Amino acid sequence: MSALTLTLKQQPTQRVDMSPLVCQHLAELSLSEIGALVLQSGKSLLRVNELFSIEGSDTQDIIINNSVDTLDFIGKDLESGRITVNGDAGAYLAFGMKAGDIKVSGNVGLYAACEMKKGYLEVSGNAGDFLGAALPGNKMGMKGGTILVKGNVGERAGDHMRRGNILIEGNAGDYCGSRMTAGTIAVMGQTGRYLGYAMRRGTLLLWNQPNLSASFNDCGAHTLSFLPILFASFKTLNSRFADASEAFNRVQRYAGDMSEMGQGEVLVKL
Amino acid sequence: MLIKLTSGTVYDPASGIDGQQQDIYIRDGRIIDKPADAVVDKEYDLKGKVVMSGAIDMHTHIGGGKGNIARTLLPEDHRQDPVHRSDITRSGCGHAMPSTFVTGYRYAEMGYTAGFEPAVLPNNARQAHMEMGDIPILDKGGYVMLGSDDYLLRLLTAKKDQKAINDYVAWTMAGAKAIGVKVVNPGGINAFKFNQRKLDLDEQNSHYGVTPREILKVLATAVKEIGVAHPLHVHGCNLGVPGNVQTTLDTIQGIGGLPMHLTHIQFHSYGTEGDFKFSSGAAQIAEAINRNKNITIDVGQILFGQTVTASGDNMRQHANHKHASPNKWVTMDIECDAGCGVVPFKYKDQNFVNALQWAIGLETFLLVNDPWRIFLTTDHPNGAPFTSYPHLIRLLMDRSFRNEVLSTIHPEAQKMTTLASIEREYTLQEIAIMTRAGAARLIGLKDRGGLSAGNWADITVYTDNTDRQKMFEKPDYVFKDGQLVVVDGKVVSTKWGTTHVVTPDFDPSVEKGLKDYFDRYMTMKLGNFKISDDEITEDGRGSISVHPLTGDVA
Repeated sequence: MSALTLTLKQQPTQRVDMSPLVCQHLAELSLSEIGALVLQSGKSLLRVNELFSIEGSDTQDIIINNSVDTLDFIGKDLESGRITVNGDAGAYLAFGMKAGDIKVSGNVGLYAACEMKKGYLEVSGNAGDFLGAALPGNKMGMKGGTILVKGNVGERAGDHMRRGNILIEGNAGDYCGSRMTAGTIAVMGQTGRYLGYAMRRGTLLLWNQPNLSASFNDCGAHTLSFLPILFASFKTLNSRFADASEAFNRVQRYAGDMSEMGQGEVLVKL
Repeated sequence: MLIKLTSGTVYDPASGIDGQQQDIYIRDGRIIDKPADAVVDKEYDLKGKVVMSGAIDMHTHIGGGKGNIARTLLPEDHRQDPVHRSDITRSGCGHAMPSTFVTGYRYAEMGYTAGFEPAVLPNNARQAHMEMGDIPILDKGGYVMLGSDDYLLRLLTAKKDQKAINDYVAWTMAGAKAIGVKVVNPGGINAFKFNQRKLDLDEQNSHYGVTPREILKVLATAVKEIGVAHPLHVHGCNLGVPGNVQTTLDTIQGIGGLPMHLTHIQFHSYGTEGDFKFSSGAAQIAEAINRNKNITIDVGQILFGQTVTASGDNMRQHANHKHASPNKWVTMDIECDAGCGVVPFKYKDQNFVNALQWAIGLETFLLVNDPWRIFLTTDHPNGAPFTSYPHLIRLLMDRSFRNEVLSTIHPEAQKMTTLASIEREYTLQEIAIMTRAGAARLIGLKDRGGLSAGNWADITVYTDNTDRQKMFEKPDYVFKDGQLVVVDGKVVSTKWGTTHVVTPDFDPSVEKGLKDYFDRYMTMKLGNFKISDDEITEDGRGSISVHPLTGDVA
């Protein structure tokens, strides 16, 4: 059975809500039924087959070709299966994702993996602001799973994060790990201002010395035996995080944010 | 156009009609006597249907700043409850604190035609009126909030006479376009700003040296002497504090026979007995209400589920913030006027305290004898959203249903309430009193809440159903000012209600002291404080209905 392949015919004039096109909704549908589904696009409704040419039949393995940054809510609440996006994705990619695999070859917009519960998201390009964050006003962001971004991420990555891993090969913007309750964010590149702003618990693992706020306390240099175990868990990833030469166990540890609970930590490679 | 409602079973306590079959005639928005020979343009056959006037919610937080704070604080309340537009209705959202348009539609769809905002801060009165001006179908009005404002406390500290207070109260009511006066945690909101975290009835404000008892007395006297029909609307001291039943009894005693309305009394009826030091004081309260004819109450029933509490009582809201669910809250100061606290709440039937609060409210409803002096409210949204009224009516009218729900709540709470032994079931007439005639009389609405000739034609028609929740959820017809606005529980046309006010007289020299005060302490100039009629009417949809003061010749 070949993957269900949706190829975008032309760039839509308005943003498109892609949330109906997830594996669990399509499981029982025939190709013509899938083509007849409607997607909200701005004020109007578009049929799936107006927007995409459809091939293949495996609804548990969806490929979106020629994807652009106006396709929002790709993989919303995904419960199983795999979605591969060739091109860019819009906002709210993998929103509330419960399980499964999503891979994007290009860049993704705001709020990728917002309130993600479990599963795996891989972005080969850059991600926008609020990666793995909570919706505005909500108290819990990403609750589990793993996000790998090979490029850079915007501001507020992991805002209100509760559990899970965010792995960033590039740079992170301002307020990385803000208001984190728990979980791990690893950044190989540079980080911006206000790192870990108001974080309560959780770990920020950095390859480069950050510009820390005064509300983080230096706790000295440590050799941490859990780090090799953490790096070992990244072995299977298609990423520099799996590369043994990138791993380390000697860090400078900072505790904060002292204006909050102060049980979070920033670990910087020595 | 002459409309005839034929042969409905009419419940109109205002004219003493209790379930008699009658015809009602409507012309030009008002109910009229049977015209001699006119041709009926539209007739509705209401044989077997229950006919009441439109319901009036005399205490519901539908306008003012705290609603917007609640909306801002709880975007999930909106996301989870979107309402799409239709050809005649606008879109909106919100379960606990719906948007203005949705508020109007949902009230109308339950047969309500008026709602009164009980906490209009003088400084924010313009915003409250503008917001209520966006609520379709419903009539509205507001009680202006005094008692923790620095100006009044200064008057009291300076031992000014009652006339000076009366002038200030009347001036504020006129400027803020109010129909009543409310006091919230008398002086307590102000005391909070001087770092007091509780204030008993006879405890002095540490800065002004004034006690809540004095404030209540002076304001209740002012309201009576100005001639405002609605008695002083009191949210008492110590809201939600176990043992506050004594404070409430003292408050009733301390007012010395002056008319006083105690609002959401359920939150003020707690004892300290039992293993959890939390018990029902409803029986004592009900006894005091039955004995003191100068007192009216509304209940502020809680019902289980998610809601948000929004109150001017920043002292008590600050104390309760640790119960916030979801865990986020706001308390703020509002200039020299008062404060504000917004705490989201999830009442749970398996939580002992919540379960007992539920039972205390119902005990109060069932133990107070006179339905003319008790009103059906949930203190929307503080006890529950107003959309739960049909459920509440069923709890009051159906003992077996009530006991069924009672048997599912926290077992310790079941042991602490006498609810199971109370046999009373409300009648349709009593419901009509509580939600219509009584409410109109309490607020002083001269031509609402009744079905006799001369009243505005606010009329709700229900299909009698032993499941009272189903009955009250979905009226067959609702007329607002004679216009058919709801059919089968769905809005079919919309219009704009009026704003009910009183216009008390005052000595213009009151502004001398006030001007200086405004210039020195307020962000607003005195001239801008006063709301003109035009501001409510100039968009062509609002209107003002002035109601008489006692002593006026009607």
